[in-house]
Amino acid sequence: MRRLIKNKKINLSENIIKIGTVVVIIIVLELLSRVGLLSPYKMPSPTQILIAIREVISVGFPKGVTILLHLKATVLRIIQGYLLAAVIGIPAGLLIGRSYILDRISTPVITFARSVATISLLPLFIAWFGITEISRILLISYGCLWVILTNTIQGVKQIDINYINAGKVLGANKRQMFFKVLLPAALPRIFIGLRVAVGVAFMVIVAVEMIGTVVGLGALIQQSRFYYSIDITVAGMILIGIFGLFLSVILERIERFILPWAFSLEEVER
Amino acid sequence: MICEDVKNEVIVDRVTKKFSKGKVDDGFEALSNISFTIEKNEFVTIVGRSGCGKSTMLNIIAGLLSPTEGKVLINGKPVTEPGSDRGMVFQNSGLFPWLTVEGNIEFGPKNKGMAKIERQKLSKELIGLVNLEGCEKKYPRELSGGMQQRVAIARALAMDPQILLMDEPFGALDQLTRESMQSELLRIWESCKKTVIFVTHSIMEAIYLSDRIIVFSSNPGRVRKEFKINIHRPRQKSSVNVMKYYEEIYEAIN
Repeated sequence: MRRLIKNKKINLSENIIKIGTVVVIIIVLELLSRVGLLSPYKMPSPTQILIAIREVISVGFPKGVTILLHLKATVLRIIQGYLLAAVIGIPAGLLIGRSYILDRISTPVITFARSVATISLLPLFIAWFGITEISRILLISYGCLWVILTNTIQGVKQIDINYINAGKVLGANKRQMFFKVLLPAALPRIFIGLRVAVGVAFMVIVAVEMIGTVVGLGALIQQSRFYYSIDITVAGMILIGIFGLFLSVILERIERFILPWAFSLEEVER
Repeated sequence: MICEDVKNEVIVDRVTKKFSKGKVDDGFEALSNISFTIEKNEFVTIVGRSGCGKSTMLNIIAGLLSPTEGKVLINGKPVTEPGSDRGMVFQNSGLFPWLTVEGNIEFGPKNKGMAKIERQKLSKELIGLVNLEGCEKKYPRELSGGMQQRVAIARALAMDPQILLMDEPFGALDQLTRESMQSELLRIWESCKKTVIFVTHSIMEAIYLSDRIIVFSSNPGRVRKEFKINIHRPRQKSSVNVMKYYEEIYEAIN
């Protein structure tokens, strides 16, 4: 109990430092801008950024395309692309991880495909699917797929042989073995892949939205470049950052809900 | 009944196990021509140095490995795969970390399709047997090593096996916990009358627990000698009788 209170105090002072750092950076930037050391064309002041964010929220940028529309477009693309990658990557990874032959065959292919920067495939995807939503979504899927796939494969390969033997001795048939032993045993590692993939999805989405659309957070940044509105660029960056943070928190919540056992020790010690 | 003249419940008949390295069959011989028998309700311990193949032997009896030559018979039937007549306790408990204590214990019965109410009744009973009341909803990581092994024993017993296979179950525990687990195991064994095949490299543990001790030699694993322990339980580890066995077994191993 005493430990709990002590840790709460630590958390509090830690939060003060975290927030304090951000506040200090903002104040310094503002001061530098006011004194004229920072050109508004190179780095907008925090006040300008705030005004820009308000503009994006109320009027929209370009006019009429407000923050909600940008967010909606980006969220939809990310969710579709990400889910597609997960739906393919997790089962395929479980299958490959269980099969010695499949693993040997797929390793070079996966290593090769993973090394190809997703963005470099953009022209190819445009040639195949045109400048369409399908191109964008598939590109996000491509980027996420390899991270999810490789982590799932590793997750299965690293399963403690004791779990498998225990499953056998306790009479698990093939289906029970798969769903009640292999899958839960591999889940922590699968979630690592899913978490990294969120980051990948964000890296890809911004680049993908820079072509052929004015709607989406990436498009917002691209459009601002055309209008030399660097304040909007930074505003867009910040919005993407906040959104990314938000998604990571949601994913962690889901993880805690699905894998309470992987967190139980932390919880106890806290 | 015919079965009643089958006194020997487990018959290990000239078992040899070679592990092949890749495709070449010049494999390492872990067990060589092993034969022994175990009676119903007997507590038998296999003792030997690490690497003498004692765990391999246990895995073959469990049906997790198949022998290169020879066979294992349980109640006259050859072992080909794991079965509910044999329960197993692993060295590092092998508990599923994603299931609670209850979930782990009910895992086997659930696979068999036992109804939920029955399962809960059974797990409650077993949790009582291993003295873990109040830990039903805890995850293995929240338990101490000794408590984890109690759960592992309860989980193995949940399948109601006639034979309990234990692979160095107390090897990872500290000395004090280990000793209390040993007497706990004897209490459980006496209250539910199972055949136990126990593997350890601790001679003292073997003498304290067993009706009979089979000593394995290493490289390859062979049966070197057998000892029948004729001391009443509970046994005093410091008693003269125990020390006498200790010296004889120690000599047999070396």
